[in-house]
Amino acid sequence: MDWRQLWEIASAPDNIPIVGLIPLLIFYIYLAWKQAKANDELIAELETSPAMAKTHHRKSWPFRPGWQKEVHVWPFLLRMEFLAAIIVSAILMVWSITLSAPLEEPSNPNLTMNPAKAPWYFLGLQEMLVYFDPWIAGVVMPTLIIVGLMVIPYIDTNPLGSGYYTWKQRKFSIGTFLFGFLFLWVAMIIIGTFIRGPGWQWFWPGQTWDHNRLIYEVNRDLPDIFGITSNLAKAIFGAVVVGGYYLVGGFIAHALFRRYNPKDYQRLSLLQYSIMMFFLLTMVALPAKMLLRLAFNIKYVWITPWFNV
Amino acid sequence: MPEKPIPEQDPIVTKSFALHYLVAMVILMATLFWALWDEAYGQRPWKAFQQEWKQRYTAFLKTQHSKSEQSIKEIAQSAAYQQLDQAARQAEANAKARKDELQKQISDLNAKILAVQSVFTDKRAYVNALNYEIETDSSKSGKASKQKELDEYKTEVWFVEYPDGHKEKYNFAQLEEKYNELKDERTKASAELGEVLKPVTEANTKLAEYVSDHMVDLTPTQIDGLKKKTAEWDPKIQQINVAEANIVDRCESCHMGIREPLKISAAVMTPKGEKKPDEYAQAFVSHPEPDLLKAHDPDKFGCSPCHQGNGRATTSIEKAHGNYEHWLWPLFPKENVEAGCQTCHAADMVLVSGDVGWTISEGKDLFRQKGCMGCHRYEGYDREPEDLNNLTQQLKQFEQQKIENTKDAADLMKQADAAASNEEANRLNDKAVALRVTNSKIDGRIQQLDFQSHSLMQDQKKVGPNLKDIRLKLNKNWIPVWLKKPTDFRPNTRMPNFRLNDEQVRAISAYIWQSALKDPLPQQKPGKADHGKELFETRGCLACHSIGEGDQMQGGTFAANLTRVGEKANYDYLVRWIHNARQRTRPYCPYEKKDIGPEDYAKKGLPYVFDLEHSQCPNDGHELQVQNMTVMPSLRLTAEDAQDIATYLMTQKQKEPSSYADASFMDDPKLKEEGKKWVRQFGCAGCHEISGFEDEGRIGTELTFEGSKPIERLDFALFTEGAQRGGKEPITDPEDLKRLPDGAAKGPWYDHKGFFEHKLAEPNIYDQGKQKSEMEKLRMPNLHLDQEQIRALTTFLLGSQESSLPDSYQYKPGDARRDIQEGWWIVKKYNCMGCHQFIPGQKTVLMGMARYRDTPEALPPKLLTEGARVDPEWLRRFLSNPAQSDTDTNRNGVRPYLQVRMPTFSFSDNELRKLVRFFEALSQQPLPYIPEEVPTLTAKETDMARSLFSSTAAPCLKCHATGDPQHDKFATAPNFLLAKQRLKPDWVERWMIDPQAVSPGTSMPSGLFRKQGSQWVFAGPTPPSFQGYDKDHTKLLVDYIFQLTPEEQRRVASAMGRTRASAEPPSSKHQAAAGASTSGRTASSGGSR
Repeated sequence: MDWRQLWEIASAPDNIPIVGLIPLLIFYIYLAWKQAKANDELIAELETSPAMAKTHHRKSWPFRPGWQKEVHVWPFLLRMEFLAAIIVSAILMVWSITLSAPLEEPSNPNLTMNPAKAPWYFLGLQEMLVYFDPWIAGVVMPTLIIVGLMVIPYIDTNPLGSGYYTWKQRKFSIGTFLFGFLFLWVAMIIIGTFIRGPGWQWFWPGQTWDHNRLIYEVNRDLPDIFGITSNLAKAIFGAVVVGGYYLVGGFIAHALFRRYNPKDYQRLSLLQYSIMMFFLLTMVALPAKMLLRLAFNIKYVWITPWFNV
Repeated sequence: MPEKPIPEQDPIVTKSFALHYLVAMVILMATLFWALWDEAYGQRPWKAFQQEWKQRYTAFLKTQHSKSEQSIKEIAQSAAYQQLDQAARQAEANAKARKDELQKQISDLNAKILAVQSVFTDKRAYVNALNYEIETDSSKSGKASKQKELDEYKTEVWFVEYPDGHKEKYNFAQLEEKYNELKDERTKASAELGEVLKPVTEANTKLAEYVSDHMVDLTPTQIDGLKKKTAEWDPKIQQINVAEANIVDRCESCHMGIREPLKISAAVMTPKGEKKPDEYAQAFVSHPEPDLLKAHDPDKFGCSPCHQGNGRATTSIEKAHGNYEHWLWPLFPKENVEAGCQTCHAADMVLVSGDVGWTISEGKDLFRQKGCMGCHRYEGYDREPEDLNNLTQQLKQFEQQKIENTKDAADLMKQADAAASNEEANRLNDKAVALRVTNSKIDGRIQQLDFQSHSLMQDQKKVGPNLKDIRLKLNKNWIPVWLKKPTDFRPNTRMPNFRLNDEQVRAISAYIWQSALKDPLPQQKPGKADHGKELFETRGCLACHSIGEGDQMQGGTFAANLTRVGEKANYDYLVRWIHNARQRTRPYCPYEKKDIGPEDYAKKGLPYVFDLEHSQCPNDGHELQVQNMTVMPSLRLTAEDAQDIATYLMTQKQKEPSSYADASFMDDPKLKEEGKKWVRQFGCAGCHEISGFEDEGRIGTELTFEGSKPIERLDFALFTEGAQRGGKEPITDPEDLKRLPDGAAKGPWYDHKGFFEHKLAEPNIYDQGKQKSEMEKLRMPNLHLDQEQIRALTTFLLGSQESSLPDSYQYKPGDARRDIQEGWWIVKKYNCMGCHQFIPGQKTVLMGMARYRDTPEALPPKLLTEGARVDPEWLRRFLSNPAQSDTDTNRNGVRPYLQVRMPTFSFSDNELRKLVRFFEALSQQPLPYIPEEVPTLTAKETDMARSLFSSTAAPCLKCHATGDPQHDKFATAPNFLLAKQRLKPDWVERWMIDPQAVSPGTSMPSGLFRKQGSQWVFAGPTPPSFQGYDKDHTKLLVDYIFQLTPEEQRRVASAMGRTRASAEPPSSKHQAAAGASTSGRTASSGGSR
């Protein structure tokens, strides 16, 4: 176990946000989860007893006469937000005094740094380059991510869960978010920061980042495994496989969604539903491709002269 | 649901956050103050340095002040000071009355001017503004009306109130007039004041000059100035900014004392009570080499061009010194600080100042002497092979072109014959003629190239011996033993250890043995070892070679140690080598790439003669390599003397040559191919001439800019992590460990210095732990360097950088200084400094030898002012033939009385020219040299001069040689007859007046002349004919010497011979001082060196 290597990575001023991100994420998910659990319990209780529903609409205390039913944003919300702003300001000040900008030597076009890493918030995208070609990972996927986020309000037809934490009422939305954000985005940043060393090779935490390390790894394209040689056949084969993934995956997702989310399914129009399915399947395609690449050494599935998937 | 009791009031509305806010605000304010502090001090640590500097420097200045006052008191007591002081006071008193008057007048005028001025400037401003409006008004009527307004304004009158209270009326013109009048008056008064004060100022200046001329340190006034400056110092960034070189150096923000006029050491800056100088004390010292600073004005050069580091950084010591990961040019470590010289002075073998014993010069010498440039290209080192290669390429192209032109011409002629029209035929014919003319031009060019290559081939030298000769030269059985580990045989050899395994040793020795020349060698008669030993020790062999091992070793390290030469050498070859090392067995033709033998000459019917005059290839007419590529010169020994020395050297052995194990495998033809492979792999041809490898390139990496190579390109191999983190020292071999300048690594060594030092200590260290085949292994051999040598070479390499400074900052002079630069390369190449002193303080090898300790006059002459001394044309002739005779060569040409011999180096024309220019430039002599006219003396003057020349007080011919063998046995100085050709008259005059200033330690007596008024007169008694002679006696004597004829000299000598026994020279006390008269011989009165 090379503790020094681990410390070098963790203590690099570049990586401080990520190191901070890990406990903060855990804490906030825990906090949200705790409140959601309490709310879900309250909801269950209120659903069974109409009398209680009249007096209990706050999660901590039942309603009391004389209490305001609603409180004003100013000052009751803003005074807390302002307090938070003060504390965050203090933290930022201390941070900026103690850690200087991680500047390096003047750039030398004849000598590339190794590993050459993007800023921490882009490391997830950089990690995607391992699984897709630059056109897909660098242009198509980021565009889809942004468009997908923009589309959420238009396909979210669930009226519940607004203004309070809940799990039971929004299982699908929250689950999808946790999968997309935590598992895909944050995990990929962590991989990019802690796991990828010189030569963008996979180093387990605590393994020394040896610049001279050599590994034996041969990646093949899926059509090659099937002995397909001509470019046209490869393109067609790839299109069939990718199309098959969306088709078969679509059927499975459709079946599961209908079974476990009948209410949402009914509320969605066909357009909304198919858009949601497309983004869902595209999102799931990333871990699927990661699995193919990392476990089976498959580089590309669909090869065309213009892009590779 | 909650067990807690429900509160009366809604907590969201009623809960107070006052405490939270208080705590948060306190924290926020604290961070705010922290930020302010950080901005003012945390990010500006130099402020603390400057505060500390003020205190400590003021305290130091106080102590200096009292010392300075002490010494000024001493000066004030001198009569000269008193006199000057008196004069100053007198002048002051004389001027006083008029001075006071004038000063009063000026102050009155000043007050008046002020009064007029305050009114006048106001009115003038109004007039000027109005004028502008008139000028720019576009309408005529507007102009006119404004003009009217102006005229009216000018006629108005105003009051001026003078300081004495009275008022006067003026209009504008009067006001202007009055104002100018007053000013004129004041100018006049000031001028007069200056005139009155002039003698006072002059007297005071003289006084101040006297003080500063006689004070070793600063005067109290100067120290007071420094104190004031220090006391008034406000903390600020001290910055040197040179835009043209992109230098921004803020080093002096902390290193405040660097340029102070006082010598500041860390000890005096250490606060009282502390034992060791702290961080501040170390930072405040003045520059240790003020002379360097004078030559490199910091305002032009800054600091970082020499020292490196990050000149812009001011936030911490590490940042400023560049000692952090991302700064590519960290401060040169103290022990390698001279690396900075190399960045601009790479072309200087000897730095501009007399740099005796500098690390960087040592590094440069080592790089050359150890033969590093045999494998590694380095700009400037060993250029000849490359130039020769270029020439050969060009020759080939020209030859090819000639053939093509001839063919084309023939073709054109044929076409012309068949041409349809007469014009066409003429045109083609003209073309053919033009081609033939071109060919003739090419012939001229080829001749030029051949001429150049003649010089280059003479200049081209190899570090190691010619291996084509080993069959003639060596004991066969000795070769594999030597190759296995050369240091076992000769611990100080230049030949490095190549870590060869037994197969490689066998193969390599087989190849070089079988590829060597087999020509017969003339048999030599055995000589007398005793006489040989004496010759070896006296002729100067030991200036380069050494003999004896360990404490017994004597001689120089420039060439081989000959302690065991008898075990390896072949006597016949050794005689030839000693007689003339440059004599080759067969000439080599670089054009054909083969050794030319008698058969080639016979084919053309030519005699088998090759030397510098006969250097054309019989086959193709191009230049041949006719000399061995060695710097070993010819000492012009007779054949017998050479045999005697060789016989003596053959007795130098520790075991019998016959006791070496039989090595007949070297004749096995099967080993030859294998051997060739290894010879190529290890780059043997970098240092040796080997058959089949004449054009072999260098096998190592180029080192010209090695110091600025990115660290990532230096392969630390498996030690990368260890070097970065300071793991344990990878070198385990105790001998190699001893080579590391700082011993085993104690911390991280992942930098250029660490890489170079480890590589030089154990060149294959970065192979450790690697899986490599024999062909892949690192090839660099172990040069068995010691700590100092590695430090020197590391310094050299660290400084080998691609400088970002503009060209004007590099030391690339185009004038006489360039001649000096080029000359040093030749001086170092032939180890001239082994015998001669070039720089005051430089020690020659011979000086250090016991033999010369008591007889310094037997040493070779010092060359401190050689360029001023001798005629350049004579110098060129002397250098090409130091015997100065074609027949009588077994002697020195100028100083036949010296045992040690100036050898014949057979310099090429190129090197001769460079050397002569070098000596002239070193003594600041203008080129071309136009000899001074020596006036012809009248008969009377000749008589007078002769009386000086033969005076018993200075019997010149007593020590100077005359050509009479009887006399010259005891002579210790050159013959006067040489002077006319050899010397420059003005130098001879300087020499006679003060020989010690020209050549310290010479036994030429001083004080022969003394100054009488403006005339130099002879110090001894002069005959009556000198009465009324008002010219310099020195000049007379010089003119006489330059007109001396052999007959005249004989006459004087014979006349002196009668008086010799009786006359005791007056200069005997000088000889005693020079330790010259210890040998007891009466005539050993010292020599001129």
